[in-house]
Amino acid sequence: MTGAARLYFEDVQVPGNLETPAMTVTQAHVGLYAGIAQEPFEAPSDVPAFLPLCLVTGLGWRSPQPPLAVLAFLNIEWEMVAPLRVGDTIHSRSRTAVKRSMREGGLVVEEREVVNQRGQIVQKGRFTFLVAKRPPA
Amino acid sequence: MTAGRRYFEEIQVGEEYESPGRTVTETDIVLFAGLSGDYNILHTDAEFMKQSIFGERIAHGLLGLAIQAGLFTRATQPYATLAFVGLRWRFKNPIKIGDTIRVLARVLAKKETAKPDRGLITLERKVLNQRSEVVQEGETDLMVERRPSRQG
Repeated sequence: MTGAARLYFEDVQVPGNLETPAMTVTQAHVGLYAGIAQEPFEAPSDVPAFLPLCLVTGLGWRSPQPPLAVLAFLNIEWEMVAPLRVGDTIHSRSRTAVKRSMREGGLVVEEREVVNQRGQIVQKGRFTFLVAKRPPA
Repeated sequence: MTAGRRYFEEIQVGEEYESPGRTVTETDIVLFAGLSGDYNILHTDAEFMKQSIFGERIAHGLLGLAIQAGLFTRATQPYATLAFVGLRWRFKNPIKIGDTIRVLARVLAKKETAKPDRGLITLERKVLNQRSEVVQEGETDLMVERRPSRQG
């Protein structure tokens, strides 16, 4: 254990609104994603449906709060509301909808929206995580 | 329009597809961490993960989701997809380095929409590992074009 700062179940705030910094989705992101997924990409300016979802999971790491001590990612419900094009700039807004203590850790349900440079929601949904409780000192 | 794409009318409820397998490597995980910016220790700290219930680093859940999307394109002739519109998905078991995963998919439902040129296809998908354990599963909704009328 390194003692690096992590956000444990006890630290999770409801609703705990969080807005991440933004990032511009480029051709490079699309190319890298297509290579990793091994998915043929269609029109060069199209953004694969799951790419914004993948990018916003990392945007949280650029916010000032320490990362959540996730034990497991349990499920996701997600809607693609509007298309995204290369050159669009996205950020994410999230809030904790539910927090429930379990014997081992606790469930945290997060509602998340992906927003473009015009303030339009392009994707949204809910993530459910199993989060570690703070280890005894 | 690309030849060989299947329109809404041609896709039948109950059709089943199976993809080839793909071995998930450390490189996949490192590249995905770099692309997504998700550096969670579950995926990046081999020493920490030795002490965890998994015993080693595991793939990002969303990496598994992305890989199955790629495998699905190799499981069947492409649909005339206009948009991917929805996902209800469960991460049931970890994907570890060296695991070989494949996708089984089945057409669950077809639904008319308000627009006459398209329809909604719901697929059930299961991602299996080399021991045929389900690692991820769920439903995906695709908006698929209808065959264009000759009058255009």
